[in-house]
Amino acid sequence: MLRTILASAFFAALSYASAHALTHDFQVWTAEGARRLEVALNPVTPPAVELFAPWAPSQRLDHILADGHAATIVDFIYTRCTTVCLSLGNTFQQLQTAIVSANPSAVNPPVRLLSISFDPVHDDPQALGQYAARLHADPRVWRFAGPRNAHDLAQLLKPYEVVVIPDGLGGFEHNAALLVVDPTGRLVRIFDYAEADLALAYARSIAAESNAR
Amino acid sequence: MKVPRLGARAQSWVGFGLLTILILTPLHAALESSMSRHMLIQYPALMLSGALLSAAVPGVLRRRLAPWNALGLSGFVAVALCLAVLMIPRVLDLALDDPGVEAGKILALIVAGALLRHSWRIGGLLIQAFFLGYTLPMMGVVGSLYESAPARLCNAYLLDDQQNLGQGLIWLSVAIALIWLARAGRCLMARP
Repeated sequence: MLRTILASAFFAALSYASAHALTHDFQVWTAEGARRLEVALNPVTPPAVELFAPWAPSQRLDHILADGHAATIVDFIYTRCTTVCLSLGNTFQQLQTAIVSANPSAVNPPVRLLSISFDPVHDDPQALGQYAARLHADPRVWRFAGPRNAHDLAQLLKPYEVVVIPDGLGGFEHNAALLVVDPTGRLVRIFDYAEADLALAYARSIAAESNAR
Repeated sequence: MKVPRLGARAQSWVGFGLLTILILTPLHAALESSMSRHMLIQYPALMLSGALLSAAVPGVLRRRLAPWNALGLSGFVAVALCLAVLMIPRVLDLALDDPGVEAGKILALIVAGALLRHSWRIGGLLIQAFFLGYTLPMMGVVGSLYESAPARLCNAYLLDDQQNLGQGLIWLSVAIALIWLARAGRCLMARP
């Protein structure tokens, strides 16, 4: 019986160790939870992917994000989306309003917004431009960009752990969230889009902190 | 009804064939492309392949290992804990893009299948009841969590798929409980 108890204890220890590793010490149970925790612990440097933009020359993502002065709240979208991205679009409109009202001239705002398309098949500069116009985006605060092909897209999504899957209805399902990027371009925190106020406050605080330095 | 029994050698070959099909053919990706198929079909199928493969374990080794699994206890403990770990939603996502996790998952399920078969045979009704009394409610609770969660728990799967999985887990746990009760009842009635 002693050996049976020892074997049971061994299996228990093995399962505990696996569960401990998989859940970051029983803090997270989903891949999304783990992604957010890991980003908060280890900021993610932006991939050097060339992105096109409406009404502007194409630019590398790390150059767009690392402007040395403003924090950026990033989201991933596709312009044909009518579900989650609509509420993300709404959230971004509210964020834009909050940013502009705190800084009416909107010259060098401390927080900027960037919507990145993950649908290079349908979203070209023109489609993104129309989308931006539809959402009344103020180009001084809210910019748009997209990868030029599937290869660039994969390079873009991988480090941010954005997972895009077909929803079976011709559109996409994706782990939509607000990604807060510091003025040096590193992704430092991920918020739910229901926590937009928190995301904005956090972005403001890291921008202020980096400008004070 | 009498099911024709395969010899040990034939069983292990069938197990090996099943495992090969599950891992090396397009069926692998097809089963993992849906959350419900991933857990409700691939998991049990891998356990079945492990159970069949275990027929190849030689008698000498069985006798050596027997004292480590008296009454099937440590085997049942291992299977229950293994299933508990593998039902964590993150495992399903990680299994898709981390080959290490996928290999660990497959290996754990094969071993769990082998241990379950062996422990089931030597455990007797009482120990089986303890095992099922822990594992089936766990499956039911996980199932109801999957079914009722308002948001997706896995980034790689859709919400309706997750709800199907939840319902499937609940039905499966009920079905196993009923089948076991019927068999246990018949077994007890047949005793003098």
